[in-house]
Amino acid sequence: MIEWGSIIATAREWAATILCVLASVFAIGGTIGMFRFPDAFTRLHASSLIGTSAVFSGLLAALAIATRIIVIMLFFLVSNPAATHIIARYAWKSGIDPWTGPLRTSRRRGPKRNTPEDRPDQGSP
Amino acid sequence: MNTIAFTVTALVFTGCAAALLVRLVISPGGADKLTMLAAVSALVLGILAMFGTLSGRPAFLDVALLYDIFGFLGILAIATFTRDLQKSDSEEPGDD
Repeated sequence: MIEWGSIIATAREWAATILCVLASVFAIGGTIGMFRFPDAFTRLHASSLIGTSAVFSGLLAALAIATRIIVIMLFFLVSNPAATHIIARYAWKSGIDPWTGPLRTSRRRGPKRNTPEDRPDQGSP
Repeated sequence: MNTIAFTVTALVFTGCAAALLVRLVISPGGADKLTMLAAVSALVLGILAMFGTLSGRPAFLDVALLYDIFGFLGILAIATFTRDLQKSDSEEPGDD
């Protein structure tokens, strides 16, 4: 007779531990990226990594123990990408040039600095 | 095993939040500061959820949910307010 209860409890513990390790790794990586990335938009990517990967892994690990976390997870899945979008839109509208890299492989935007009336349409890169 | 894992992860989150607070103070520009604020808010949410799970008190989870809501509203309010300030400084009708 297999004791499914103890097997499920052990699987929950291992899942929580693995997700905690993942959350720590992503949090440290996002913090390092926040200090080393050159631009507001790339730093926004590191911030989004912390939000969605690290904290969401931590919430999943807590979900393996307590099931009330699912309300927080549902709201966090909506609010964190929305906040990232708001910040990116704010940075774009305040005229920050995106970092084009040492090789200048990205699209250039012309000789003068961008103002919002310079770029009426940004549909296609 | 779970207690150790949650404690270590909460400590790592605390260290990252402290480093990002330093980065928030020394960073120039509004977009950078908003980015750091969003990251610190998310990390504090994770810390609250982990302590709520560890200590077995559901009040921490309610506090975490409210903290998430008000962090989002704060970022939205700061971004809108600063954009309106820029718009009224440049004295032009914006495109939205």
